[in-house]
Amino acid sequence: MLRAAMHILLVEDDSELARQTELWLREAHHSCVWRERGAEALIALATEPFDVVILDVGLPDMDGFTVVEQMRVRGFTLPVLFLTARDNVTDRVRGLKAGGDDYVTKPYAVEELMARLEALQRRAQSVNATGGPAAPARMLGRWTLDPLHRRLRSGNETIDLQPREWTLLEVLLAHEGRTLTKKFLLEKVWDIQFDPGTNVVDAMICRLRRKIDEPGQPSLLQTVRGKGYALQAVS
Amino acid sequence: MLSKLFPERLPSTWRLGLLLAVLMACSTALCISVAGWAMKQNLSSIARTVVLDDLGEYAVLYNRNGLKEIKDVFAAGGHENDQAVRITQPDGTVLFEQIPLAVEGYRWPARSPKKLKTSETLLMTIPHMEKTQELLAGCQVLADGNFLWFGRTDAEDRAYVEHIRGHLWLAGLASTCFMLLPLWWFVRHVLRPVQDMMQSTRKLAEGHTDARLQAPGAVPELRAFATAFNNGLDRIDALTAELQSANDNLAHELRTPLARIRGNLETYHDHIDNEVARDAAARGLEEIDRAAELVQTILTTRAGEHKALKLHLEIIDLRQLLSDLHDLYKAAAEERGLSFVLEASESRWVLLDRQRINQAVANLLDNAFAYTPRGGIITLVLTLHGEEARISVSDTGPGLAQTDLTKIWQRFTRGSASSASTPGMGLGLSLVRALAHAHGGQAGCRNRDEGGAEFWIDLPAGDPLVSANVV
Repeated sequence: MLRAAMHILLVEDDSELARQTELWLREAHHSCVWRERGAEALIALATEPFDVVILDVGLPDMDGFTVVEQMRVRGFTLPVLFLTARDNVTDRVRGLKAGGDDYVTKPYAVEELMARLEALQRRAQSVNATGGPAAPARMLGRWTLDPLHRRLRSGNETIDLQPREWTLLEVLLAHEGRTLTKKFLLEKVWDIQFDPGTNVVDAMICRLRRKIDEPGQPSLLQTVRGKGYALQAVS
Repeated sequence: MLSKLFPERLPSTWRLGLLLAVLMACSTALCISVAGWAMKQNLSSIARTVVLDDLGEYAVLYNRNGLKEIKDVFAAGGHENDQAVRITQPDGTVLFEQIPLAVEGYRWPARSPKKLKTSETLLMTIPHMEKTQELLAGCQVLADGNFLWFGRTDAEDRAYVEHIRGHLWLAGLASTCFMLLPLWWFVRHVLRPVQDMMQSTRKLAEGHTDARLQAPGAVPELRAFATAFNNGLDRIDALTAELQSANDNLAHELRTPLARIRGNLETYHDHIDNEVARDAAARGLEEIDRAAELVQTILTTRAGEHKALKLHLEIIDLRQLLSDLHDLYKAAAEERGLSFVLEASESRWVLLDRQRINQAVANLLDNAFAYTPRGGIITLVLTLHGEEARISVSDTGPGLAQTDLTKIWQRFTRGSASSASTPGMGLGLSLVRALAHAHGGQAGCRNRDEGGAEFWIDLPAGDPLVSANVV
């Protein structure tokens, strides 16, 4: 899947985390500018155009919420992804209210960060897009996706999916080739922001795998130990 | 025995009042009995003197001029209305008898006492035939061998004693009322402030850390106590606030290094070709994620226990919430060969933090899933009782040891049925309880009669709009 390179402003006061994140972004062919303070970030925004801002909530000079508020006041509409060490809904809501677009809790996985950045980019593009050709029907191996009936179709064969299975497949397809963490899937598919002790995601992935995999073929849905699950739509 | 007379469950005010009333009644009764007895003794000694004196006087009159003199005295009216005089012959024949109305109704002896010698006197009491009064009678042998009888009734004395006794009771009652004045003072300035303080401490125990002891109008000692206590609480509050922010910082401080380690490990994982090294890195990543989750659980539990948890309240349908959770766990149940049943027929819109309640119920489900063997049944039930909702999770697992029933709610405590292979740190149930408390609810558990355990969360489920105003 083709992914457009982004120009990203990273605002993070922890130099080690910033170094890692910068490395990951460059590896994913994005370009990145790193700033340590909120005030510096606001200056950087005024001097060059960015596609996305990755913003730590706990900055030494002002908190991330204030930075976003100031950004919005100054007319910057670009998407903002919060990084935070505080994992609670109230802070999440506060961040979104302040004008942030998404939220990643530390410690985070590289793939989760990328998946969220892509989602932000996609959203920004769909907002900017003014009509255009209808999206082509999506494919999964030999299967064509039928979103209206939540069904996979191939010739006369069909596979019916339950609502959550369909949502899971959609999320995996939207980030095709990315290893998505359990946490990310729980949030996007079930709107659950904690990790249950029972292997609920694993069980769901197994069930989906049994439905979509061809006998004798390698699975379309890979489990990557320690990291999560990845879907290869075209084997 | 005393504890039965003054049961502990009565408020101290009542017990004290009761005790004082009983004591006052006893002491009044004792005073009145003693006074009555003394008066009676006094009056009867007076009566004896009167009888003996009058008997002597009539005897002198008779011995001087015979029966005529006596008759003259009576004819002249020199006689009291409560005194009777008789003169009988030794065989009992009555020669003279003057018995006024007030002294009627007594059975005089039919015969005269034989052994009595001349001028000797015999005293006797004769009961009234109908009334509870007595006649004090004296008998003397006259010079001519006849007998002089003189009797005096104690009816008036008795009436007098009763009268005095009535006054004494009144005095006793009045003094009891006076005794109640210090009791009233004691209640107002000592007991009531103590009760108010007890209420405040109860509030404190329930987690209202802003509650303070109130003692206006109490005795100075109690006021000083309240002030000292409140100062202590203020200090504890300040320390708690400090601890809370230290906790927040700790979370932050732990998460950031965890993030650094995780980042480096992930880069290593993604760039290494060696299978063994990558597997080790993967395990490391899993452990870091678990550690981060653990830190979060501890912080949430702590905040919930101290009612310091910030809730993000929404109006949601409890049935929908349970149905979503059922949906989430269904595949895992199938995989484990468990049948997982949802029993929630009625919708109920309530005001609560969806993520937190989800987390609490998920924890109960995690336990049930961990302890129920293949082939078992796990039931998730929503029961509505008026303004309360109960979410319960029943399983067909081994149940709980009796000693575990209360212990398992504590932090880092695991039931005796858990083994090294059962996941968890023993934090789940303390988190469940903290989250229930944070919502003004309760959590509980029991062993089911038909086997297995049942865990539940009771939540207030009143009108969400009314709750919204209260919150």
